[in-house]
Parts: sequence; C-alpha cells; structure tokens
Amino acid sequence: MRGENIGELEELVLLTIGAIYKEAYALAILEEIKQNTDRSMDVTAVHSVLRRLEKKGFVTSKMGGATQDRGGRRKRFFSLTQAGRKMLDQTMALRMSLYNKLPRLTFSTLS
Amino acid sequence: MSQNPPKWADRFLAWYCNPDLLEDLQGDLYEVYYQHLDQDKPTKAKWLFIWLVLRSFRPSVFRRTEHHNNSFLAMTRNNIKIALRVLWMDRTNSAINLLGLTIGISCFLLLGLYVKQELSYDDFHTQKDRIYRMWLKEDYGEGKIFFNSNTPLRFERLMEDNFPEVARAVHYIEESFLVGRGESRIDERVAVISPDFFEVFDFPIGKGSASNPLPSRSDMAVSTSYANKYFGDTDPIGQTLGVEVLGEIRGFNISAVFQDIPTESSIQFDMAISTENGGDLYGDRMYQAWFSIIPETYVLLKDQATIATVESKMQDVVLSQMGDANDGPMPRDQYNIGFQPLTDIHLNPAIPLGFAPVSNPQYVFILGAIGLLVLVIACINYTTLAAGQSLKRAKEVGVRKVLGAARSTLVYQYLTESIVLALMAMLIGILITLALIPTFNVLTGSELLYSFDWSHFAIFLSAGLVIGLVAGAYPALVISGFNVIGILKGNKSAPGGLNVRRALVVLQFVITVFLISTALIMRDQIQYLMTKDLGYNYATVVTAELPRDSEADRLSTIISSGMDNGELIKAKLEAYPEISNVAMGSHLLGSNGWANLAYTDPNEVFRRFRLLVVDANYLDAFDIPIVAGRRFEDGNGLDQRQSILLNETAVSYFGFDDPIGKKLPGNSFGEHIIIGVVKDFNYSSLHSEIEPLVITQNIIPIVQGVSDYDFKDSYSPKLVFTYSGSQLTDATEILEREWEATFPNEALEYEFLDQRIRSQYENEARMNKLISVATVLSIVIASLGLLGLIMLVVASKLKEISIRKVMGASPFTILFVLSRGFMVQLLIAIALSVPLTLWFADSWLENFAYQTQIGPGLFVISGLLAIIVSAIVIGYHAWRATRVNPIKSLRME
Repeated sequence: MRGENIGELEELVLLTIGAIYKEAYALAILEEIKQNTDRSMDVTAVHSVLRRLEKKGFVTSKMGGATQDRGGRRKRFFSLTQAGRKMLDQTMALRMSLYNKLPRLTFSTLS
Repeated sequence: MSQNPPKWADRFLAWYCNPDLLEDLQGDLYEVYYQHLDQDKPTKAKWLFIWLVLRSFRPSVFRRTEHHNNSFLAMTRNNIKIALRVLWMDRTNSAINLLGLTIGISCFLLLGLYVKQELSYDDFHTQKDRIYRMWLKEDYGEGKIFFNSNTPLRFERLMEDNFPEVARAVHYIEESFLVGRGESRIDERVAVISPDFFEVFDFPIGKGSASNPLPSRSDMAVSTSYANKYFGDTDPIGQTLGVEVLGEIRGFNISAVFQDIPTESSIQFDMAISTENGGDLYGDRMYQAWFSIIPETYVLLKDQATIATVESKMQDVVLSQMGDANDGPMPRDQYNIGFQPLTDIHLNPAIPLGFAPVSNPQYVFILGAIGLLVLVIACINYTTLAAGQSLKRAKEVGVRKVLGAARSTLVYQYLTESIVLALMAMLIGILITLALIPTFNVLTGSELLYSFDWSHFAIFLSAGLVIGLVAGAYPALVISGFNVIGILKGNKSAPGGLNVRRALVVLQFVITVFLISTALIMRDQIQYLMTKDLGYNYATVVTAELPRDSEADRLSTIISSGMDNGELIKAKLEAYPEISNVAMGSHLLGSNGWANLAYTDPNEVFRRFRLLVVDANYLDAFDIPIVAGRRFEDGNGLDQRQSILLNETAVSYFGFDDPIGKKLPGNSFGEHIIIGVVKDFNYSSLHSEIEPLVITQNIIPIVQGVSDYDFKDSYSPKLVFTYSGSQLTDATEILEREWEATFPNEALEYEFLDQRIRSQYENEARMNKLISVATVLSIVIASLGLLGLIMLVVASKLKEISIRKVMGASPFTILFVLSRGFMVQLLIAIALSVPLTLWFADSWLENFAYQTQIGPGLFVISGLLAIIVSAIVIGYHAWRATRVNPIKSLRME
C-alpha cells in the first residue's frame, strides 16, 4: 500500500529517533546520524525526511519549551508512533530473514 | 549574541514557509548559524544560513495558499473543462473556427518572422548602440550636392586623432580580386578591413588569434564556409591563398577563420585582408585626399560618449584640419560629416547606399500590415460566429444566472472558451509555420531562419491570450448580457448586436476585397514593367564582362584595354552564322548607376549627365533608333576620336534646338562634335526617369571637361551579342569555347540580358507573391467565416423556410431570401474597399517613374471574384436548405 514503504534514509532517521528517545529534534538527529555514519547531509534534508515520516504516520511531534540559544524559538521533538515502531520491526525482520540465508549461499559459491 | 543572520534570507524564509513549520525550522537554522558564529567563522555562518534557507525552499515547506485563490483556480479548471466540452459538442463550428484562426496565425507568424528579421538587422553586435557609420555630404549650393556613405580614406585617422569620444574607427571596403590556389583563379569579393575591425563588430573568430586576427599585410581571414571551399578538411591556418593584386599574384597567409556572417548583418564578407594594403591598392596620396571616397568608415564611441558631442565639434575640426589646402579656406557647412547608427542602415533609404544593401522599409511595413490584417479577419471570423451561436447557449446562461452567476463570471467563462481555442490554434499555427519556413524561403527568395528561444514561448503564449481575448470579448459580452427572464420564458428573439455583427462581416469583406485588388494591382504593375517597351531590343542578348590588362589602372586605359581585348574575340564570334551584332560598351542596359559626370558650365549652371562608352556597333545591336543626325560609322576614325551622340533628354537638358554639329556647353572639354541624337531609351530600371546621356567612343575629351564623377556600376567594357539560333545553351557553348581559346586564364562570367532586366523587379515580384498568398489565405478564412454564418442562418430560419415552402415559394425565392443579407454586405464592402485600395496603390506606385493605369476593370474583377466565392460558399448550403422537408421541421409545434 502507498505510504507503507520507507526509504533507506527514512529508515535511518526513524531508527535514530527511536535511539535518541528523548529530545529528538532535527539538529540532534542530524548530529546523531553524523556521529554514527559518515554521511554528509544538511539540516534541510533531515527536515524534509521528518515531514515525510510524519505525513506517513510513523512519527509524531510536539513543540518543546522556549529556548535561549536559538533566538527564543521552540524545538519540535519527534517520537516514534506505534506504526513507526511496527515498521522498524518489520524491516528488521525482513532483513534478518534474508540475512540468515546469506552464509550458506556464500560458502557454496566460494567452494 | 549580537550578530544575527542576514535579514533578507530570514524574511524570505518567513515569507515562503508554512507558518506551522516555521518556528522549529527557523530555530534549527539559527542554531546552526550560532554554532558557526561561536567557532569564529562569521562569513561561513552567514553563507551557510543563506544556503540552508535556499535549500529549504521546496514544496513541502511552502505556505498553503489554497484558501485565498482556491475558487479562482477551481473555476478556471472547471471553465477549461466546460470549454473543451462545448468545443467538442459543436465540432463543425469549432473546426471552422480553429481552421480559420490557425491559418490566420500561421500567416501572421510567417510574415511576423520576416518582418522581425528585417527589423533586427545588425542587432547581434554587443556594441551596436555605440557603432555609427559615417557619411559625407558636400553641399556647394544650387543643387551641387555630393552625398555618400563611402568616405575618404583619411577619416579613420581623423576620428581617432581628433575626437577623444571615439574609441575606434575602422574601414570597410569591398573589392573584387582574382583568387585561387594554383592556376585557376576566380573573381571573389574580398573585404579590406582595418586590423581592429573585429574589436568593433561581433564576428566571432573560430580559429586563429581572436585578439589579432590580421597581424600583417600578408594575412587573410576567411569564413568557415570559405575555409571549407578552398581547403576542405585540412587546417586552413597557415595555408596560403594566391590573390591577384594590381597584376601581381601575392600569397596571403590564412591567419584566422571567422564564423560565417549571419544573414541579419549589413556587412557581408567571406574573405578579408588588412587595410595595411591600402597604400598599395589606392596609393598613399589617397590617404591625404578629402574629396575621393573609397571605404565605409565605422566609429565605435567610448562608453559614456554621445554622438551629439562629436557632431557639434565636427565642423571646427574639419576646417582646422583642411586648412587652406584647396585654394582658400573652405566655407563653413559645405563639407558635412554625419553619423548613422549601425542598426539604422538596413531600413533607411534616405542615406545613400554604401556597400551594405538596404531594404525598402515600405515593404517591411506592408508585409507586417498584411500579416496583421489576415489575423484580424480570422479574429472577426470567430467573433461573428461565436456571437451568432450565442442563441444556442441562451438556456445555459439563464440557468447559470438564476443560480447566482455574476456577469463577470460568465464573461470569464466564455473568454476561457475563446482563449482555449486561440491557444490550440497558436500551437498548431506554430508547428505549421515551422514546417512552412523552407517553402516560404523558396517562394520569396528570402533566407528566413528560426531559432527557438525560451522568450518566444512567452511571446507565443501572450499572443495566443491576446488573440483569444480580442476574438472572444464581444461574444462574451453579448452572451453574458442576456435577459434571464426573457430567456427562461422561452423567448427566442435574437440577441442584440445584429448590427455589430453585420459591420464586422462588412469589415472582413473590405479587407479581403482590398487584398484581392492590391494583389491584382501589383501584378499589373510588375507585368507592365516587364513588358514595357524600353526603347531597345534585348531578346536573346548574351553579355560577358571583358578582361582588361592588369596594368590598366586609369579610367581611359581600363576601358580601352578591355575594348582591345574584345576585338580579339569579336572577330571569332562573328564567324558563327547564328551570332550577330557583336558589340562592346562600358555599361549594360538594365543596370543602375551608369557613369555619372558633373561639371559647371560657362553660365555657372551645375550640370550632370550619364556617359556611355561604346564601339560603333553597340547601338545597332540593340536597335536603338536615331532621330536626328547620323549614327557612328564602323571604321570611321573621326567618329572614334571625337564624335558623340546625345539622347533626347540630353538635347533638351543642355538646351539645344538643333544639336547636330555643335559641342557640349563647357570650356574644358576636349575636341568633340555632336553628330546625332538617339531616341530616349530606358537604360536603367523603370524605378527612375530617363536622365541625360552622352554616348561616345573616346572617353578622353569628355572626361577632360568634367569636375566630378562617380560610378556605381562597373565600367569595364562588356561584350554583347545577339543569338538567333534555337538553343540558348548552344550560344553559351560557343561563347565558352571561343573564350577559352582567346583568354585561357580568365574566368568567363556571362548572363542573359532579359534575365538581368527582369531581376531588377525581383523585390516587387517577391512582394506580389507574398501578397497573393496572403490574399488566397484571407479568401479562405473569409469563406470559412461565411460558411459558418450561412449554416447559422439556415439553422435559425429553418421554420421560416419550411413555411415559405408550404406556401409555395420556389427554391430560388428561398435562395434569395437567405443570401440577400450577405450580398448587400458584400456590395457595401466592395464599395468601401475602392478608396482604400486607391490610396494604397497611389503611395506604392510612387516608387516607380513609370506606372500602370488603375482602371475600374480591376475593381470589377476583384469584386466579382469576391462575389463568386461567396456565392459558391453560400449557395451550396442555401440550396440544401431549400430541399428540407417542411414536415420534419414544422411538426413539432
């Protein structure tokens, strides 16, 4: 069904939101991704992915409290929804099941 | 933190961003900004912020603006949908409308492209606004005026040395040289240009040094196509090309290849050498002369300078430069130098012709006007048809109004229909135009090129919109103005504005009949020019320019050496029985710009006359009759030395009663005597009157007596002969054979005189073709409109016809009833078109010294043509209407 599939970057962001758990706003997510991978992206890309994910219903967001260091503007914190969690589980399961078939195949081709 | 991100970027973000998303997005961007600021990278922070703002500019972030414009967009979509359905529902009518508009638009676009090309000559030079061509006008009073676009050679220095406003002055000269590799040489036009010529004009250098394409006097620049012509695939740079300069073959080194010069350039050349050869070609003395003109001089002004400041200083500079060199100081305002903007050259016939050809602006205007007229006819078609159809839509309008549609909404809806149709027509019209450009070029002999540019897209789109608006405005107003109650009650009286529609139909007919008459008049005039008795016989006359000795450099030696060469081949040609009347002369009949001489006679009257140098047989070869005295006798030594003939115009111009045995009025002429008078003959084109003409065999005594001369036409002698055989190709074969035997190293260029004479009216013939095509198209469009109207009339009068039939009306009565209205309109239109046509024809015929007569017969023909076409269109439908079965149309009520 439409909207049920997610791309690689979307999956990465979704996972990161889950991993950060609290205080997951765009820059924090970007920072986390930068630390864990070597991807070079900018904050606008993260924003656009976040909007897509929210539209698909995998994350929800709420505005946080006022801040000092960003011109007094509030942050938008994202958290996983049930559907988002389920989506991650499904993709993981799919990968694992495929991955489990991998060694045999590899050895047989090597021998 | 004191520093803030760039304000404009921040505002821009706030402007496009959806307010719901703004706060956190902006906050994140600020945070990134401040992070970089903290790391003491203010510039990077700033640019990064701008970059991020621009990167965020994507649809998912955009403000949702549906709320404001929603109804407008939705209604437009709805209107377009309805328009398409309506057009589809009434397919016959839509097809007629579409076809009419498409033809009109194609015609308009083609002619528009032609006009645009003519108007955009020389527009491609980036410095065009600062480039001027110089002209020189010597005015000594009493009509003694010498006005030229060619200037003395010293003007380049004059401008560069004395005017700080002038950035550069360059020369441009067209010369003819024999060019070739190895033995064979052909006559080529070679430009002689200043070394910095390419700095002024935008003729891009493809190969070779762009900064210095002509480094020395032995270098030559050629165009891409000529590089190909002479060197094929080998690299032309560094190759040599032999050019015969003043009798000596010099090798020129190809130093640069420039791109072929576009059609829209006044300056056209394929080979160029440097003016450093000028001293050799023209002599160093010419660089000091004030009164001998050779090159066109172009000046490039500096960035801020204006031409007015240069002009205001000109007289003082000229007078101080000239000094007392010419017996006493030059009076003020006799020696005038002026400037013409580069882009003005192509369409300004008021300035004399230089090397650059000039178009007639009248023709450009006429073609533009005709394109517009055909488009107007097409628009009127739509207007009358749509207004006529409006009754069919009455119920729809009524219901819409009851449901609360405002009048403006209805107008908008009906305009959408016409605009949709116009845009469709525009699209098809563009495709047709593109497909027709090659045919158009063949037909008109023009070199129209179309290169797409995105700006054209906007032009086409807005043109389509305008056409749709203009054509649809009136019907939309009529339809939206219907009275609701009347309509819904079932009142079927025709809507108002019948008179407007009638007037529009009349206007359409006026334009059509006008175009028909104009095309006929033009054809008449061209026919008249082609067939007018020119006073001489030129059928089957072949001519060829004779070679002259390369040492000959003076007027008299050029002519005499050419004539001597002519004698060599003359005897051989005369041996053929089918060749007769072999003769030689300095000018050809049917060419403009014969030698024009001028002097001041003993009574202080300034006199100008044309001069023709001939051998004894030239006049006989063309059957030019003598009205007084005698003709030249072959072999008469006295005739060869001193006898001259005048034409009738010259006799009255010089004021002779009986010129025979007299001399020309003038003190310094050499020994000469008038022995006869020839009947006037039209030696140049029929655009101009016959001018006084002196015919001589010996040029010297005449030249001695004149003070000024100019030659716009080549004066090296030409061979002419009449061929009486049946196959003209045989004539050229004989000529080629004998030429090869007599002048083995000279290229032969021959032509037939009748072709040459006909080619003088090429422009007119081309115009006539274009107008004829436009006329046929306008007839087609008008017939389409008529077809639509008659179908409408028949449909609305079906009951009337049926009742008449029941009462016993004959088919002819019914035919008459149906077509009466149209015929009246047509007759009014024919009457109205007469003065319009007369006015136009008069102003066009002013171009010619000899004009055809416009008789009433012409209007009868064009009127009849219009009536017959309309009768055919109307007749068929009206006739079908008379065949209807009354029962079918009457039983419903």
